[in-house]
Amino acid sequence: MSSAAEGAMTSHELASGGGPVPTGGVGRRVLGNASLVVGVVMTVALVAVAALSLVWTPADPNLAAPADRLLPAGSHGHLLGTDALGRDIASALMVGARTSITVAAGAALLGVVLGTISGLTAAAARPVVSESIMRGVDILLAMPGIVFALVLAATVGAGVGSTIFALTVFFVPSFTRVVRAAALRVLAEDYVTAAELYGRRKVFILARHVLPNIFSVLIVQFTLYFAAGILTEAGLSYLGVGVNRPAVSWGMLLKEAQDTVGVSGPLAIWPGLAIVFAVLGLNMLGDGLRDVLDPRLRKRSS
Amino acid sequence: MTTQTVLDVRGLVVRRDDLKAVRNVDFQIRAGQRVGLVGESGAGKSLTALAVMGLLQPGWTTEGQVLHDNVDLTTISDREFSNRRGRTVSMVFQDPLSALNPTKRVGAQVSWVIRRHTKVTRDEARARVLDLFKQMHLPRPEQLLRAYPHELSGGQRQRVMIAMAIACYPQLIIADEPTTALDVTVQKQVLRLLDGAVKDRGSALLMITHDLPVIAAMCDYVMVMYGGRLVEQGPVGEVFRSPRHPYTKGLLESQPTLDNIELEGTTRLPSIRGSVPPLHAMPTGCPFRTRCDRATAQCEIVPELEGDTSQAACWHPLDAHSPVVGA
Amino acid sequence: MTARTADTAATDAVPIIAARGVCQEYKLARKSLFGQRERLAALQDVDFHAMPGEAVGLVGESGSGKSTLTRVLVGRERPTAGVMEYEGRDVWSLDGAGRRQFRRSVQVVLQNPRSSLDPRMTVGVSLVQPLRALHIDVDPKARVREVLEQVGLGVDVLSKYPHEFSGGQLQRIAIARALMPHPKVVIADEPVSALDVSIQAQVLNLLKDLVAELGLTLVLIAHDLSVVAYTTSRVAVMSAGRIVETGRPADLFRHPTAEATQALVDSVLTVEKGLEGSALL
Repeated sequence: MSSAAEGAMTSHELASGGGPVPTGGVGRRVLGNASLVVGVVMTVALVAVAALSLVWTPADPNLAAPADRLLPAGSHGHLLGTDALGRDIASALMVGARTSITVAAGAALLGVVLGTISGLTAAAARPVVSESIMRGVDILLAMPGIVFALVLAATVGAGVGSTIFALTVFFVPSFTRVVRAAALRVLAEDYVTAAELYGRRKVFILARHVLPNIFSVLIVQFTLYFAAGILTEAGLSYLGVGVNRPAVSWGMLLKEAQDTVGVSGPLAIWPGLAIVFAVLGLNMLGDGLRDVLDPRLRKRSS
Repeated sequence: MTTQTVLDVRGLVVRRDDLKAVRNVDFQIRAGQRVGLVGESGAGKSLTALAVMGLLQPGWTTEGQVLHDNVDLTTISDREFSNRRGRTVSMVFQDPLSALNPTKRVGAQVSWVIRRHTKVTRDEARARVLDLFKQMHLPRPEQLLRAYPHELSGGQRQRVMIAMAIACYPQLIIADEPTTALDVTVQKQVLRLLDGAVKDRGSALLMITHDLPVIAAMCDYVMVMYGGRLVEQGPVGEVFRSPRHPYTKGLLESQPTLDNIELEGTTRLPSIRGSVPPLHAMPTGCPFRTRCDRATAQCEIVPELEGDTSQAACWHPLDAHSPVVGA
Repeated sequence: MTARTADTAATDAVPIIAARGVCQEYKLARKSLFGQRERLAALQDVDFHAMPGEAVGLVGESGSGKSTLTRVLVGRERPTAGVMEYEGRDVWSLDGAGRRQFRRSVQVVLQNPRSSLDPRMTVGVSLVQPLRALHIDVDPKARVREVLEQVGLGVDVLSKYPHEFSGGQLQRIAIARALMPHPKVVIADEPVSALDVSIQAQVLNLLKDLVAELGLTLVLIAHDLSVVAYTTSRVAVMSAGRIVETGRPADLFRHPTAEATQALVDSVLTVEKGLEGSALL
């Protein structure tokens, strides 16, 4: 049946519950949400460290100093110690944060933009187009993401750019689905029916009615995929198809630490902790944002 | 029937932070009595029911007492409460589709309620469910036992809900807008079945609705709620024939009825001006005073319910002898 | 056959809006991969019309086809057979200008006021949308003021968002939006069924006043016979995709001939019948 017919039918709402519901206001909900507060603090800390690394690091993370090999944490001038070649770990982690953010946020952003375009198209276009997009999405989702990224990185070549590309391809199908579902929900609202009846075109309806009303969904999804991006980038770099020196990435640091894990455990622990910190912070931020921006979504996705 | 009290609500307050949605409500329901609680959206009627059933959403808190079967329902644990729900007090919801478990067959869901509260075998429970379905005039009851909620029509689902509610002969059934979501032609049939079921079992009924004709058809006592307070209560005939609170009168007059048709095209329905203020903007004193033509400075003080058989909380009540209905 | 009794309007005048012999079929989803798609006849040979300035009601229980007919009347769905006319001309064979004229002249008020306004747009922005979309060249500010006065709202509503209003106020705003392009016909689909009783009366009175003062044609779709009877002077009763009876509301109430009308009349509960104890008989 046409989406128009569906729209008219889902608009039935029960007679009670029509009165304005008192809500505590956005401000109150933000402060009352522990997950959001913690998430914001952790994410801001992460971004601040990455930003700081642009202008200052304790040492050059690529500068080897054989004399200072494998210093323990707390050594003079090396807050977290040094690695097997005497390179400063704290500096490497700071620069690694920058790489993680660039790769993950870049991929998540590209994914959101492309996913929004394809998702909105799938929601509003004729059945033939819509079905084609969604089956394409199914095919992409059927491939294990990490393997796909591996092959891609191996053919295109390792590096920040190709990692972003691989992650984007990995993200777009899921984004398309989420955006399409959210857009279909908005398209079923009576104000869209009304807009169609006073002669608005599909493109206008998508831009002025649908997009603003799914914006909170996009923000939440961006945050969650940001976190997923950090994790996946670390995985790819660990496998050696992501970022390589002179660029620094947490996953790459883990791989390097693997060789010396018998000698110095903390080497592997520091980048691991950094990944956990970043992913946890972003996930908490995403969950918190979801509760604040779109309380309805919480029930659906959990 | 004895005149034992099955529900005694004393000083009930339901609040969310500083916002009081139910403000100091007192009422009793005796065994076998049918009480209607009527009000518009935002009046606090559904929150009252949910508070009694211990089903308030997180964030809402209660004060006061809800005495039922010699226990205060506001103080017992969730576990004790769920042990009672469906047994001594049960509820029929507005939207049966969301009140039923979509993944379980309806027969099993009703049977589960019976087996939870009474010691019967699976087969005995099934037989009782079948009986209930027959009482509810559900078509092809044997097959319907194995149906999932989405396979039933709205009216059938609501009849399954009623079957579930009456399965254990509760002392009290709370029905929250049980027919609002149904088609008009089905409404009467469902009400008739609910009426019969309540009568057979001698249960008391608390009927919550915004629909005055439904109250008139189903109840013998009515409480009118506005702005979280009871503004008028009394025997249905007395309150509906000669309302004393201006709000009750306004509600009654704004019903489009068959009688108005005589005057088709020429009349305007009398209506209450304005709309129910949101909770945070509810006026002090009498909650209705901002919409009331009779309001004076005195109305800034909360009026108490006063009267003999029927009581109204109003400083300037209407003359008890000015009939409205059928005028 | 379609019963057409008691047509009050003069037969030689042209109806402003009319469905003539309209049938509507939907193809259902395939039950198996290569199975035939079953067809559902939602409307069968429906004749329905409204004269200029007339208030017509359309009643029926859910599934009777009144929603489908509504979608045909507003031009959202093209009927599989029959003609949908506006001022005597087939809507689906109009040229661009004619179609724009139709879009502009036939406006809709939907059932649920909470969802009929975009929550992210201020009321002011929502109100001018029809003018923009239909390229109507009037001073939007003056028009907005005029329309708000007609529905009994102040200009202070313009900068607010929908969540700041009650259901009744939102329905007034939705009516105001429908009035913006100076329509000749307003089609109201269950405009009060989501509202509180005391507010229903306000909105019904408003619709009635608009018909009288602006000379609007009103098509009121509802499941509640008493709501329709109060607002309109002619009522069509639908059942199983057909119009089974048409007439003055008072006549339909007293002497329903079709079974569906009888069922609707019987289903009306009133306080008086309830107090007599005869409501559920």
